[in-house]
Amino acid sequence: MIRKLRKFDYLKPDTVAEAVSLLEDYQEKASLLSGGTDLLVFMKLGAKNPKYVIDIKGISALDYMSWSITDGLRIGNLTTIQSLIGHPLIQDRLPMLEQAAKAVGHPQIRNRATIAGNICTASPSGDMAPSLLALGAGVKVASLAGERTIPVQEIFTGPFKTLLAPTDMVIEIHVPALPPRSAGSYFWQPKITAVDETLAGAAAVVTLTDGKVLKDVRIGMGSVAPTPIRALRAEEFLKGKQVEDKLFEEAANIAAGESRPRTRADYRREITKLLVEQALKEAANQAIRTEVNR
Amino acid sequence: MHQIKVTVNGESYQVEVPAQRTLLDFLRQNLELMGTKSGCETGDCGACTVLLNGKAVNSCLVLAVETDGKEVLTVEGLTHSLELHPLQEAFVKHGAIQCGYCTPGMLLSAKALLDEIPRPTEDEIKEALAGNLCRCTGYYSIVKAVMAAAEKANP
Repeated sequence: MIRKLRKFDYLKPDTVAEAVSLLEDYQEKASLLSGGTDLLVFMKLGAKNPKYVIDIKGISALDYMSWSITDGLRIGNLTTIQSLIGHPLIQDRLPMLEQAAKAVGHPQIRNRATIAGNICTASPSGDMAPSLLALGAGVKVASLAGERTIPVQEIFTGPFKTLLAPTDMVIEIHVPALPPRSAGSYFWQPKITAVDETLAGAAAVVTLTDGKVLKDVRIGMGSVAPTPIRALRAEEFLKGKQVEDKLFEEAANIAAGESRPRTRADYRREITKLLVEQALKEAANQAIRTEVNR
Repeated sequence: MHQIKVTVNGESYQVEVPAQRTLLDFLRQNLELMGTKSGCETGDCGACTVLLNGKAVNSCLVLAVETDGKEVLTVEGLTHSLELHPLQEAFVKHGAIQCGYCTPGMLLSAKALLDEIPRPTEDEIKEALAGNLCRCTGYYSIVKAVMAAAEKANP
């Protein structure tokens, strides 16, 4: 049942230090506000009732996107989902992030929603997570105790649950530089309409040797388990083998077997098989086309 | 209560708002601009779409206090005379309005699109309007109208 927002105290810190200090003061009674496209819905549904809403959009230091060939991509907390779309840096270096971003909601949501917020909401069907998992991304978190980096791989603990404490604040997403001859791809199937929740999503990042041998493979799957997951057995199966369509079919079958969908399980596994296959093939094709010294 | 300074349809307002008031409610209650509609209140239908610093957003998911120092465009701001905005004209001409409830949101999402892509493809129009639901028209006439408005403005 939707209801009007209850009263709360609205705070707007200017710095990360101020923000984490407020979190330390108010702990579970506080919620962080970025895009608000999840938080406000939770509040209207009565699922969250923060007494203090801490708007972090005033922390200008968190709005950035930077790339270096050795370090990879660093995205500040406030970077919106929409800003990934059409961004020359993303299209050039990590086009799978643009694919993932296009799957999130619709334009009005994407103009406000942030990648960090998307991760912190930790929906099992979140569209950014499979790609971030496949890319080996990490999340930099600040608290009064200091800063630490948590691999996205470890951050999800259950549906809509992360291992972040109430005193934690995500400040950056880091996608490490991929080895040469790497490429990634994300494929997804929505539930009903194009802007609907994702029924199943598969992201694959492959790294090839100079030839066509799979040096490394990472597969992230969304909406087919209590959290976004990696298809570890499928990855192991593929490593060291030569790129081949039939190989990817088999790997996709293994990956689908690793999924644990809660509802519409048979259908989801079927779709997952197709999506993983597509993602692997597309990623491999792109990696083959990449020049060795990029 | 919080003091905010916000520009709506070109006019500057300095007002006091409670933290929990959404931009949607602020527009309708404080400013009596009824063009922006309440639909789902959860950012799924797009009836509440306005442009915030030029970008289409669901005003039901924006707090009024978040608009301090920003510019808002509602459907009322599309024209300041009796002349229709080219998008409005196209909507009328192509039968893109039946009950009219989705229309303000559609117009603003379309405007945001044309401001960025003056001659969009049909697919680009559909993607730009993906966050605006219509229960009456079946969308075809709406897409046609946006296409026509784009062609007329940039032949």
